[in-house]
Amino acid sequence: MFRFVMKRLLMLIPVLIGVSLIVFTLMQLTPGDPAQIMLGPQASQEDIENMREQMGLNEPIYVQYFKFLFGIVTLDFGRSIQDGQAVITKIFEHLPATLKLTFAAMVVAIAIGVPVGIISATRQYSFFDHTSTIGALVGFSMPNYWLSLMLIIIFAVNLNWLPVSGYGGMVFLILPAIALGTQTAAVIMRMTRSSMLEVLRSDYIRTARAKGLTERAVIYVHALKNALIPIITVVGLQVGVLLEGAILTEAVFSWPGIGRFMVDAIRAKDFPVVQGSVLFIAFLFVMVNLLVDVLYAYIDPRIKAQYK
Amino acid sequence: MSTNTQVSNELPLPAAKPRIKKKNPYIDIWYRLLKNKLAVVSLGVLVLLVLTALLADVIAPYPANEQNLTNILQAPNALHWLGTDAYGRDILSRIIYGSRISLQVGFVAVTFSVTLGGIIGAIAGFYGGSTDNILMRFMDILLAIPGILLAIAIVNVLGPGLVNVMIAVGIASLPTYARIVRASVLSIRDQEFVEASRAIGESNFSIIRRNVLPNCLAPIIVQATLGVAWAILSAAGLSFIGLGLQPPTPEWGAMLSEGRQYIYEAYWVTTFPGIAIALVVLALNIFGDGLRDAMDPRLKQ
Amino acid sequence: MKEVLIEVKDLSVQYTSEGKEIKAVNNISFQVNKGETLGIVGETGAGKTTTALAIMRLIQTPPGKIRNGSVQFDGKDLLQEKESVLRKVRGNKISMIFQDPMTSLNPVYTVGDQIAEVIWLHEKVSKTEARKKAGSILELVGIPAERGSEYPHEFSGGMKQRVGIAIALACNPQLLIADEPTTALDVTIQAQVLRLMTNLKEKLNTSMILITHDLGVVSEVCDKVAIMYAGEIVEYGTLEEIFRNPSHPYTQGLFNSIPNMNKKVRRLTPIVGLMPDPTEIPSGCSFHPRCPKAMKECKSMKPGNIQLNGEHKVSCHLFDETVVRGRVETNEPSTP
Repeated sequence: MFRFVMKRLLMLIPVLIGVSLIVFTLMQLTPGDPAQIMLGPQASQEDIENMREQMGLNEPIYVQYFKFLFGIVTLDFGRSIQDGQAVITKIFEHLPATLKLTFAAMVVAIAIGVPVGIISATRQYSFFDHTSTIGALVGFSMPNYWLSLMLIIIFAVNLNWLPVSGYGGMVFLILPAIALGTQTAAVIMRMTRSSMLEVLRSDYIRTARAKGLTERAVIYVHALKNALIPIITVVGLQVGVLLEGAILTEAVFSWPGIGRFMVDAIRAKDFPVVQGSVLFIAFLFVMVNLLVDVLYAYIDPRIKAQYK
Repeated sequence: MSTNTQVSNELPLPAAKPRIKKKNPYIDIWYRLLKNKLAVVSLGVLVLLVLTALLADVIAPYPANEQNLTNILQAPNALHWLGTDAYGRDILSRIIYGSRISLQVGFVAVTFSVTLGGIIGAIAGFYGGSTDNILMRFMDILLAIPGILLAIAIVNVLGPGLVNVMIAVGIASLPTYARIVRASVLSIRDQEFVEASRAIGESNFSIIRRNVLPNCLAPIIVQATLGVAWAILSAAGLSFIGLGLQPPTPEWGAMLSEGRQYIYEAYWVTTFPGIAIALVVLALNIFGDGLRDAMDPRLKQ
Repeated sequence: MKEVLIEVKDLSVQYTSEGKEIKAVNNISFQVNKGETLGIVGETGAGKTTTALAIMRLIQTPPGKIRNGSVQFDGKDLLQEKESVLRKVRGNKISMIFQDPMTSLNPVYTVGDQIAEVIWLHEKVSKTEARKKAGSILELVGIPAERGSEYPHEFSGGMKQRVGIAIALACNPQLLIADEPTTALDVTIQAQVLRLMTNLKEKLNTSMILITHDLGVVSEVCDKVAIMYAGEIVEYGTLEEIFRNPSHPYTQGLFNSIPNMNKKVRRLTPIVGLMPDPTEIPSGCSFHPRCPKAMKECKSMKPGNIQLNGEHKVSCHLFDETVVRGRVETNEPSTP
C-alpha cells in the first residue's frame, strides 16, 4: 500500500511542474506591469524601474521561472501587490472557508445522490425512478450561480429563513452548500443508479439471493460495496468540480474563500495572488484525485493486489 | 455412412448469400433517436433556439438595448412579458438577442476545440512514441487545472470580449477531444488495412482522414453536444463574474450579474436569463445522452 | 417406492422483452426422490437454468414471470409461499451451484466470509463459530482453511467452483441444484470438481438436480434424466432407459452427435438446424422443423406425454398409437 501511494506521489511531480509552467506562462502573457500596478499611476519611470529590479522582473525569463518554481517548493508564492502580505499566508487564511463550503456541498450531494440513486435502481422504471432521473437532468443543467440567486430570492429574501450572504455559523452555510452541491448530487445520483443497476444484474448477486439473504442485505451488503467503486471515482472527480464551482458560488454569497479571493485579485491585477491561488487550487485538485485512487485500492482488493 | 452424406446435403448451405444491401448507419441512428421522446423534445427546443437566434430581429418585441427610464424594473406584464431591467430594457427581447451570443460561443468554442484537440490527438496517436508522450502529458497537465479556472486564467490574459471567451473556453476543453481521437487512432493504427494503405503509398494525412475520422465521429459528436452545453454554461459564468462579455451586451450571464443588485425588488431580472441558460443546457444534455444511446445501443440499459 | 423430495408440476415461465413474450419454460413436470440425482439435459436456451431459478423463485421479475405451476417441497408449494419462508429455504434446504465461478463470487469479500455468511444466516451460531465452520467446509472441498481469508481473485477457476460448492453445501441442504457446474472449467479440472460434488453428495445424502448439456457427465452422475427442448421436457426416464433406448428423435439426435466407442461411424451426425427463436416457437411439436421423422400431425398437433416402459415417458407422436394407427388406416406416406 505504501509503495502504491509513493508511486502515485512520484507520478504527480511532472504534472505539478507542468501546471506551474502553464500558470507562469499565462501570468507572463497577461498585459500590465506588476511594478506599475504596485506603485500606482503616479509613479515615476525611475521608481518603476527600481521596483522592477527589486521584484526581479528584469532577470531573464527562465531565471524568473526557476525562482518561481523554487519558491513553490519552499511554499513561498511571493507577496500580494495590494498589501504586501505573503500570498501563501493569505491563501491559508481563505482556505478553510473554501474547504468548509466544498465539504458541506459534498455532504449535501452524497446525502441526496446516493440514496436516491439506490432507490431508483432497485425500482427501475417506477414513477420514483422516472421523476428522479428527470430531476437529475434538470439539477445537472442549472448553472450554480443562478441556482444560488434563486435560493437567495426564495429562502432569504421572500421567506426570510436564512441569511442572504455572509460567513459564520451553519445558517450561512446552508444555501451555498445546496447551491453548489445540487449539480454534484445529480451526477452522483446518475452514477449510483447505473452502477447499482449493473451490479444488481451480476452473477454474484444471484448467488447472494440464492443464499437466502433478505433483499436489503443483498442490496446494502453485497451490491453496494461493489457499486461503490465507480461512485467513489465520481465523488473524487466531483471534489474538483466543486472546487471549481466554488469560485462562482463564493462570488454570489460573498463567501470569503480562495475562489472569491482569486477573482478579486484578477480584478485588482494582483499577479502573485492570482498565480498563487490558481496553482494552489490546481494542486488541491490533483491531490484529491490521488486520494481517490488510494481509497479505490482500499475498497477493491483487485487493485490493491496489483501493487503488492 | 450414406445417411451421413444425406444429412450434410440437407444442411442449409450459405453458398447463395443474399446480397446485403449497404445500409447507411446514420439513418439507423436517426430512427433510434426518433424513438426517444425526450431526445426529440430536446431537439425541438434546440431547433427553436436556433430559429430564435436567426430571427431575433423579427421576433423580439423591442431592440435589445433600448432604454426606457420611465419604465424601469417593471414586473412581467402584457407589454413586457418577462418584465424590464434597471434601465427599462425589455428582458424578453434581451434574452432573445442573447441566444445569438450563447449559441455563437457554444458552437465556435466547441468547433475550435474539436478541430485543435482532434489534430493533437490524431498526431499523438498516429506517430506514437515521444510525440505522443509529450502531447498527451501536456493534455494531462491541462486536465489537472479545473476547466473554469483555466478559462478564467486565459481570459485574464486575453482580456474580456466574445472572441477571447470563445478561445478560453475552447482551450479548456481541448484535452477531452484529443483523448477521444487518440484512442480511436490507436485502436486502428496497427490494423492491416492501414498497413496496406501505407504500403500502396497513401499519405498519413489521407489515411487519417479516410480511416480514423469516420471511426471516431460518433463519440466526438456526442461529446461535442455535451461540450456546447458546457461552453455556454462556462461563458455565462465568466460573464457573471465580470470577466467575460461586458454590459450592455445582452449576454445571459452578464444579465444575471446585472440583476444581482435588484434581487430584493425584481426577481425577474435574474430569474429569466437563468431559466434560458438552464433550458438550453438541459436540452443539449438530454439530446447528447439520446444521441449516445442511439449511436451505441449496446450502452443503453 | 422411494420418498419424493421435490415435485414440480406444470411449471411455466415467461420473459418479456421489448414487448415480446418469450416462453422460456412451458408446462414442465418432474420429481426428484430423496438421495437421487436428476439430470436435466438440453442445448443452450432450452430453459434449463430458468427451470432451476424458478424452483428457488429467483427469476428476476420483471422481465421474468412464473405463469403457473407448483413446486411441492417439504409439504409446501414454494411458488405460493411468502418471501420470508422462501428465504429460509434458499441456501439452507435448497442451494445452488452456478455455471460461471469467475463471476459468481462477490469480489469484495473474502471467500471465508462468503461461506460463513450462509451458515450464520441459517444456523443459530455466532459469527466466530460460523467462520470456524466455514474453514472446515473449505477443507472438505479440498482447500486449506487458511485460504479463507483470501479474496476470490486469488483463486483459480476450479478453486472458485470449489468455493461455490462449499457455499452451497455449508448448511447441509436436502437438494442441490448444480447449473452446468463444470462447463466453464478446464477439462482436467471438470472431472475433479464433478467427483468432488458426487462424493460430497453421497456423504451428506443430498439429492441433486444436475443441469448440463454433456451426456457424458449425465451417465456418470445421474439416476434419472430429463431431456429439455425449447422449454419442454421431451423425454424422461431412468438413466438406463434413456441411454439404452433413447426414443424421442431429439434425444436420438443428441446421442448421434457425440462419439460412441461401440459404433463405428466415419462422421458424427449433428442435428440439422438451430433451436427455434423463443419468441416464435413452431406450432405443434416444437421440434418438428428439425425432426428427421416429422409427420403431418407434428406440425399441427402438440404431442402428449406417452408412457413407455417403467418410468420412461416421451412426448412424441411416433409413440402415440391413435396417431400411428390413424396413419396406417388411411395409408398416408410417413414423410411430409
